[in-house]
Amino acid sequence: MSNDMLKKFIVDAFEKGLIEAVMAPAATKDSYTYALITKKEDVDKITPIAPVMQWNGADMLRRITKLKKSERKLLAILRPCESRTYKELVKFNQINPENIIVLSYDCPGTIHARNFKYEPVEPENLVEEIKNGGKSEKIRDACKVCEYPAPIPGVGDIGLGLVNTDPVFFSLSDKGKEFLGAMGITEGERDADAWVEEHRKRREEWMEKERITGGRKGIEEFLSSCLNCHNCKDMCPICFCKECFFEDHNVFDYESNKFYNWADDKDGIRLPTDRSLFHIGRLIHMGTSCIGCGLCQQACPMDIPLYRLFGIVGNDLQKVFNYKPGVDDNLPPVMEFREDELHEFEGLLGGEE
Amino acid sequence: MSEKEFEPVIVGFFCNWCTSAAADLAGTSRLHYPASIRPIRVMCSSTVDPVYLIRALQEGADATILGGCHPGDCHYITGNYKARRRVAIVKTVLKSLGFEDDRVLLEWISGSEGPKFARVMNEYTEYIKKKGEADFKYLDSLGGE
Repeated sequence: MSNDMLKKFIVDAFEKGLIEAVMAPAATKDSYTYALITKKEDVDKITPIAPVMQWNGADMLRRITKLKKSERKLLAILRPCESRTYKELVKFNQINPENIIVLSYDCPGTIHARNFKYEPVEPENLVEEIKNGGKSEKIRDACKVCEYPAPIPGVGDIGLGLVNTDPVFFSLSDKGKEFLGAMGITEGERDADAWVEEHRKRREEWMEKERITGGRKGIEEFLSSCLNCHNCKDMCPICFCKECFFEDHNVFDYESNKFYNWADDKDGIRLPTDRSLFHIGRLIHMGTSCIGCGLCQQACPMDIPLYRLFGIVGNDLQKVFNYKPGVDDNLPPVMEFREDELHEFEGLLGGEE
Repeated sequence: MSEKEFEPVIVGFFCNWCTSAAADLAGTSRLHYPASIRPIRVMCSSTVDPVYLIRALQEGADATILGGCHPGDCHYITGNYKARRRVAIVKTVLKSLGFEDDRVLLEWISGSEGPKFARVMNEYTEYIKKKGEADFKYLDSLGGE
């Protein structure tokens, strides 16, 4: 229903000449991928509100605009977490936002891609469950404790409200307002505050309960089944560097004696080396901009609940810089600095003498 | 046999323009500072990827120091502000995971502050001596308790 309505919206927009292309999920045999369509006849092939997020849509937009701005007017249908990623990547100069309109909606959450493969769910089922402000039990951990399940003003252009109402459109930016005006759609309202609040309460509880503590033992036990496959890095939309510190790099190449010396010093080492260092290093590099999409966890072949690591430590980091990735308008913490700040991290006892 | 006193290993990343010059000055002024410091001269405190601080701890250092110019005095105008943000990130990550975050130290020591250099190195070495060995060294190894 909400999918049919969105499809009608897209056909309308095509006919009015407001858009020339659409990026939205489309069903495959066992899952959903993103699809790019340029003709209104192809609209039936897409499922705008999909129950699975296999990739982050913002990452797809990054690929499209990598070399040059979008040459056609593109409507991208993104979940709220993806639209926040979109905003963050625009700030990182990874996406050219020109000619792109982002539509996002009250997100019912997504199911772990592997679970979906064995237990498929109709796309409308999840939407039905949030109609009355509830949530499905089948959705991913990261979705259950999502901080921003609803579209945020200033992030993306058009919002679609689904909670506690029949679908209503509202604008999130001036561009969106213009677009809805040209479509002849009157903006509606819906009350999703309680629904969002519930998510945030769950998030607080989750952060208290699931935190990884205990230093070396804690992190080693948490990562004990890690394969060092780097899937979490590959799926992370914030890890966009062409050359990764941890790959294609001879920092971690050593002569055999180095390994033997380590084994002498440390009473035996685990191979391959630097498994924990990879995760700690990745936290240092991207933690301040972690959106919380939870794709690292979905990509883990060993089912390590990685969102507990990146979500919670990322949240701590963002608190230090008083920064909400993808929501705030100021630049990411790693891109700017202030002259008078962070004195508690200087010197031994904090504060300069 | 008497028990050997614990001698910490402290890796220092010192910027070429200020803290390394201060180390020189401390030397030529014949000020005493402990041999536990292993200085590495870098062009700017901001050239040190924070992962190298963690790496030093994992390689067996008991602590690391990042030394730069005073805020506003950076040879490259803004390097030390960026270094401060990076150290803030490293310390927060370490603390959040339950490691000791005081094993990473950020200090501003200018080229003329030889005495301050010697004092900071003495104080920090004493501090780490009291704290004892870091168990970070055993990350991803079979050793440790």
